[in-house]
Amino acid sequence: MFEGLVGFNEKMEMQPMLAERWEASPDATTFTFYLRKGVKFHDGTPFNAEAVKYNFDRVTNPDNKLKRYSLYRIIAKTEVVDEYTVKFTTSEPFGAMLATFAHPAGGIVSPAAAKQGADAPAFGKKPVGTGPYKFVEWVPGDHLTVEKFADYWNPAQGAKVDRFIIKPVPEAGTRINMLLAGDAHFINTVPYAQVKQLQGNPNVAIAANEAIYTFWVAMNTQKEPFKDKRVRQALNYAIDKQAIIDSVLAGYGKLADSPLAPRVWGYKSVKTYPYDLQKAKELLAQAGVSNVKTTLWSSDSTEAKQVAVALQGQLKEVGFDVEVMAMEAATLSAERFKKPEENKSMMNYAGWSPSTGDADWGLRPLLSKESWPPTSFNLAFWDNPEFDAQIKAGLQTADPEKRKAAYAKAQEIVMEEAPWIFLWVNTLLGGISTKCDGMVIQPDGIAYLRTGYFK
Amino acid sequence: MFTYFVRRILALIPTLLGVSIAVFLLLRLVPGDPARMAAGLDATEADLEFIRRDLGLDKSLPEQYLTWLNRALHGDMGRSTRTRNPVTYEIGLRLPATWQLTAVSITVAVVIGLVTGITAATRRNSLLDYGSMVAALLGICTPSFWLGLMLMLIFAVQLHWFPTSGRGDWRHLVLPGFTLGAGAAAIIARVTRSSLLEVLNQDYIRTAVAKGLHERAVIYRHALKNALIPVVTVVGLEFGYLLAGAVITETVFAYPGVGRLLVDSISYRDFPMVQGILLILASQFVLINLVVDLLYGWLDPRIHYGN
Repeated sequence: MFEGLVGFNEKMEMQPMLAERWEASPDATTFTFYLRKGVKFHDGTPFNAEAVKYNFDRVTNPDNKLKRYSLYRIIAKTEVVDEYTVKFTTSEPFGAMLATFAHPAGGIVSPAAAKQGADAPAFGKKPVGTGPYKFVEWVPGDHLTVEKFADYWNPAQGAKVDRFIIKPVPEAGTRINMLLAGDAHFINTVPYAQVKQLQGNPNVAIAANEAIYTFWVAMNTQKEPFKDKRVRQALNYAIDKQAIIDSVLAGYGKLADSPLAPRVWGYKSVKTYPYDLQKAKELLAQAGVSNVKTTLWSSDSTEAKQVAVALQGQLKEVGFDVEVMAMEAATLSAERFKKPEENKSMMNYAGWSPSTGDADWGLRPLLSKESWPPTSFNLAFWDNPEFDAQIKAGLQTADPEKRKAAYAKAQEIVMEEAPWIFLWVNTLLGGISTKCDGMVIQPDGIAYLRTGYFK
Repeated sequence: MFTYFVRRILALIPTLLGVSIAVFLLLRLVPGDPARMAAGLDATEADLEFIRRDLGLDKSLPEQYLTWLNRALHGDMGRSTRTRNPVTYEIGLRLPATWQLTAVSITVAVVIGLVTGITAATRRNSLLDYGSMVAALLGICTPSFWLGLMLMLIFAVQLHWFPTSGRGDWRHLVLPGFTLGAGAAAIIARVTRSSLLEVLNQDYIRTAVAKGLHERAVIYRHALKNALIPVVTVVGLEFGYLLAGAVITETVFAYPGVGRLLVDSISYRDFPMVQGILLILASQFVLINLVVDLLYGWLDPRIHYGN
């Protein structure tokens, strides 16, 4: 329904959307966008620089209580240069700004519609954007309907079906039955354990797409025995990741060779720790560590529990007696986000996808000192000034080459210091009817439906 | 009888107050931060502070409760922290769905349960009796999760008789209605059988048979009505449980009912929504119990609602 100034395709590559081109100042504080002409909102009003300003003034005003206030609060000022040029000024250098505009929350809504709905309760508002499909109705818990927008600015990429009905179906077995019965043409997602049920059926196919999720086990680097880098490296050698990928993920994953997934902007292939029990034992002997009792936290989803139990079994081989604590989502997040003094986290199995698709959001919230809980998600309580300096350098400039160089160095430091046990990057599986094509799950987990069509 | 009715309705007030306090406190004892759940993993501490203030979570517990109670008494149950829609609007969308499903499944349960129970009791120790009691045992033991998926596989995926899931016309109600009704039918069948057997051993039944009454007349006019009191109790209880939403069946059939909303809201720590739903469920349960109590009097004139 909505489009941003820039957006991602189904491979998470950035594309011009409502802006045809853009410029950033070398110090990464001003960003100028040259907008596409002749674009109309679903309500018929024209899209222009005023509309863009209205949108970002709205989200950066804390009184509006919009969910993504924090994402855009760095924008100090939005100016209309002329009807189709708009200039943003940030309060401090922010090299990852472009990716932030591509975030799904950067979708531009019609100012006329937003003003009209300003006093109406949330459910009374009709979301009005510029995308190939426009809103018809939303019944919470039941369905969302969108239909083809005839005046879409880019007919070549316009809607190819009249209507999408999107339903929330929490139970995977039901989703698969819906696809098999022809009640659904696309499902998000197919759990790895149920892939076999779809394979070999001529009416359905698996739509696989590599994710930008990386999965890992964070070790609390402020506590023994994980203060010692050799111990952390040893555990990396002690895990047979491929065996877990082949069993739990039905083979749909590849070894993580960086804290970032390959489709994240700024990714560099650094190295993997091969499965080598001998080496693991040597390193642990050097560190003088044996017979450790510790805990591993994970969510209580079936897949997470399977992974946690596999890790538990493999760590036993190197003398780690690990208690698996699988917790319900809200409880787990409450425990994880406790202050350092109260935080009981030792080992944490988790995954992360940077919603902006940019290296900054794939590293900073997870590994920089400023991101220790409760502020953000640095579950390893890692504190590495060298790494923090690279992250900062990456934000000080908008020059892509300089940024890439900084993040490459940051990734090398992480792989060497091993605050995590690096596991894998997974592939997301959608199920699709063979009557249709053009739909996959985006690398960030959201269904990518806009190019869907009937064969 | 009228004063009894009024007294029972008035008794609703302290019950609901108690429920609301208990729910309010229990929710806050459970670990988990509503602000974190609403804002997501990548929100900063400053965002969370902001949301907590917005939700009033920074105030003291009694203050939070009184604010909520005051608004609730004015018909405002607050807004969902998940969808930001008013709680009453979200519940209002789900209640009719749950009522429909409950009506279908209780009908299925009562019809199948009574027929099976009566058949089994009147053909005591026959093959039919054993067969239906084994079926009833299976009905109680079968998890609705499995039964639902199996029914879906056979009648939706293979035969295409019914849609797999969702809400729509009557066809959408058949599979979930049967899945839900099966367990209750089994319980009703067993209670009907044992209660009817007990009555059939009474002297007045022997008298009725002895004076040459037809078997049908004996069972339906004399025995059944007297055997129904425990059955009505069980039906009332089952009805109450079904109205509280059938989480598993609703989840399996992606049916937009109250049960699923409740569970989703709990895992999301959506406090206003959970409080609203539980208050409504508690009121329904109390009202059903009242109806059941009144039915006793109609079935057995010896029961009085006296002062």
